[in-house]
Amino acid sequence: MNRSNAILTLIVLALPLALIGALASGPVTIDLGSALASGWRGEGSDAVILWQLRMPRALLAMVVGAALGMGGAAMQGMLRNPLAEPALLGVSSGAALAAILLLYYGLAWQAGWLLPLLAIGGAFAAVACVWLLAGRGASASRLVLAGVAINAFLSALMALALNYAPSMFAMQEIVFWLLGSLANRGWDQLLLAFPFVAVGALLLFSGRNYLRALSLGEASAVSLGYGGRRYPLAILLGIAAAVGAAVAVAGTIGFIGLVVPHLVRPLVRQDPGRLLWASALAGALLLLLADILVLNFIGAQELRIGAVTAFIGAPFFFWLIVSARRAGTL
Amino acid sequence: MRYVSRLLPLLLLAMAPVALAQERIASLNLCLDQLLLEWVAPEKIVSVTWLAGDDHYRRGPLPEGLHLNRGRAEELLKLGPDLVLAGQYGAGRAASRLHELGVRVVKIPDAYSLEQLLQQLQALRSVLGKNPPLEVHYNKLQSLLALQAPAVASGKTGETPTALILSANNITYGSGMLEHQLLERAGFRNLAAEQGAQQLQKVSLEEVIAAQPDLLVLYGGEKDFALAHLATRHPVIRRYIERGRVFTLPAELGFCPALVAGETLEKLTEKRAEFVESQ
Repeated sequence: MNRSNAILTLIVLALPLALIGALASGPVTIDLGSALASGWRGEGSDAVILWQLRMPRALLAMVVGAALGMGGAAMQGMLRNPLAEPALLGVSSGAALAAILLLYYGLAWQAGWLLPLLAIGGAFAAVACVWLLAGRGASASRLVLAGVAINAFLSALMALALNYAPSMFAMQEIVFWLLGSLANRGWDQLLLAFPFVAVGALLLFSGRNYLRALSLGEASAVSLGYGGRRYPLAILLGIAAAVGAAVAVAGTIGFIGLVVPHLVRPLVRQDPGRLLWASALAGALLLLLADILVLNFIGAQELRIGAVTAFIGAPFFFWLIVSARRAGTL
Repeated sequence: MRYVSRLLPLLLLAMAPVALAQERIASLNLCLDQLLLEWVAPEKIVSVTWLAGDDHYRRGPLPEGLHLNRGRAEELLKLGPDLVLAGQYGAGRAASRLHELGVRVVKIPDAYSLEQLLQQLQALRSVLGKNPPLEVHYNKLQSLLALQAPAVASGKTGETPTALILSANNITYGSGMLEHQLLERAGFRNLAAEQGAQQLQKVSLEEVIAAQPDLLVLYGGEKDFALAHLATRHPVIRRYIERGRVFTLPAELGFCPALVAGETLEKLTEKRAEFVESQ
């Protein structure tokens, strides 16, 4: 087994360990063993804390992290652009804006399935706008420019929508929608997001060969039989479904979609197909670790998780840039 | 300018006879708005703050022709009030400007405890004069406060049920707060205060579950969606609701406790009696 595979195996093995770490983290000390043994219907406070509060939160962190990592990998592959990222290109803010409009002006608590569906619609519309604005096969700078423009516009609309929302807390909640949070989430949010993330992941996974062909260039991809709009649409829908559903329940957590694919790309030998699931795994791990950090060191005065992912992710990115400069590949 | 400054005292002098009768009362404070609207005849109120018209604070339809002010001296001056009630803080500049111009401005102290609440009502009594609903309210609160807390009265502190407040944004109330006083007076032990909280403090859902209070006290009022309420709508709280172990404080307690403190204390005491009976 070579070094890359060993690291990937390590990530896979680290996930359950991180899960245990997350379950053991929190403001209250609980007896993890007996709480686990008392089962999910346990009545004791330890069991309730473990099964109703910590478990859904940790699983949600994994699902959201996986969705963001995979979404980022697919986006970078499809747009053949190392700077493509769901948050940077307006996918997250599109989803967040749709969720804000529904939650604060619409059906509020009864939203149910409509919430992720609408968020996915918002995400899809945003990425489509960026794509149309930048044009096909856009250069990195043009794409980022279009993304920044759409993203800034959508963020401003989010602030505007919250400013006029009837709730007294709406303004302070801009922070949540811009930085994301996993606090006070339960099984209902997890169950709401998971099916859509899973469908999105399946869509992306089914498009893996298209992404591989695309890495040879658009013309080569067409000559390999990947012409037409069917493939890019499926990928876009996959990204929108995974990221949109994640944003609807956890806000826009940045950096994971950008950094994670870069971190794991050497491990899968630049294969955009394998990069998808490797990024999902690494994204899940990174967000879970960020959440453990939030729970253990920051406590009840919660620093938003989006800020923590940037704290963890940015140094890795610095290192990546420096090492790439040394190797002369950037 | 000089002309205006000379004219204004004259104008105010012309209004002086009305001032004694206090037929035109204005308010520069959200809570005083509510108290006036509740206890004073609507034709005597000339202006309340714009917040009184806000859905969050409005308790009923506002009287017709009532001016909603934005805390500016000139808009009140135009209405010619003979009494302007102001809070301890806020709209201070307008209040002092009006005072300089000869309008009778009375500052009513804010209340953050039961003792201050009595002082606030006392201050209102002395400025509003004979006002039956205010008297009823004042006397009721006074007699409630004269009573000892049930647990202390029976001498059995062992059976004191525990309570914990969980408000929006995971906020709980410690020993220095009015909400704590109400809980203690009603015969509950406030777990947040026992754990050392003095003012407002963050409390996570985990801590709420681990503390296992007998009664979970929520803050009511807000019906619109906000993530701030996510904690109080979490499924783990549903167990408390299903068992009837939840008490919801009225929203008014947060912005104008004088309106509802007495009533809330009575309801909390009833809730405690139910508890002791059921055990």
